[in-house]
Amino acid sequence: MIYQAAIDESFPVAEPTQVARLRSGDPAALAEAVGHYQHRLYRYLLRLVRDAASADDLFQQTWLHVVRQLHRYDAARSFDTWLFAIAHNAAMDLLRRRPGESLEDREFAIPSRAPDALSTVLAGERAAILAAALAELPALYREALTLRFEEGMKLPEIAEVTQVPLSTVKSRVRRGLEAMKQKLCKEDIL
Amino acid sequence: MSDHESVRHLLALSAAGLLDAGEERLVREHARQCARCAAKLDDYAALAAGLSALPCPLPLADLLRRTNSLVAAEVDRRQGAVFAGAAAIFACAFILLIGQTLRILLGDSAALAWLLWAVISSVLGTASALVLASRRRLERSIV
Repeated sequence: MIYQAAIDESFPVAEPTQVARLRSGDPAALAEAVGHYQHRLYRYLLRLVRDAASADDLFQQTWLHVVRQLHRYDAARSFDTWLFAIAHNAAMDLLRRRPGESLEDREFAIPSRAPDALSTVLAGERAAILAAALAELPALYREALTLRFEEGMKLPEIAEVTQVPLSTVKSRVRRGLEAMKQKLCKEDIL
Repeated sequence: MSDHESVRHLLALSAAGLLDAGEERLVREHARQCARCAAKLDDYAALAAGLSALPCPLPLADLLRRTNSLVAAEVDRRQGAVFAGAAAIFACAFILLIGQTLRILLGDSAALAWLLWAVISSVLGTASALVLASRRRLERSIV
């Protein structure tokens, strides 16, 4: 709840004075931004790469990129989408190098797990089951769903972060939800 | 494509709130008459609500501290590079100006001696600055 409150609070980072402070390399402004986005950014990266160590590395890499690229940030744009776009690029680079991780936008099916194994692993908790089903989706669908539902981003914002057309975002959200529904219905969870 | 078929593809997007007003109206009107689509729409809505309420995974306790140290070191490095660049330009201009003045007042040999001395001290100064900067970076990374 505390974290949700921190997430919902709007960060006035796009205000000219804040941007100027960030651009000047003001350590306090940067530390404030890192602290403000730590939960949201970490959650997004963790959903994408699915392991804490990689999410941790990518989190740090993202902020290093932010420091290096701040002069390119256009204050007219949302800082959120700019930051998440940097994180997206870093995560995609990692996923492309990871064996067995497909980044192709194609039809897929989530493999169904035996209900007993599922219940053992997930202890019957609905949120954990949903998180596990989400984690089984291909990276591009996980990303679209997490940006839409966890980050609450609008269609154009997701398109800006993921650098794809609006129609592609819609298609990823639809396919992701359909695959999750299919899996959860098959296991009598939904 | 029949009305049912076209609406079926919109159900997930309706739950995700990604339809325009016209499409949303089409879905709602169809769902009022079609129990199967209405049930699917409810499932998608439950799924969307569940995804929106997933607990936020927490990063390691020291991630913030480590990231802040890294960011501060990077800012420091960048500011150091800008300062060093400006200092180098100023030093070059100063050396050339003094060299030219000495050449006019005392002749070529005095100017050459000055330039030689300036180059040697600049190289030694730069090497010391680099050593100090790398030590400072190392100290910051340990902290």
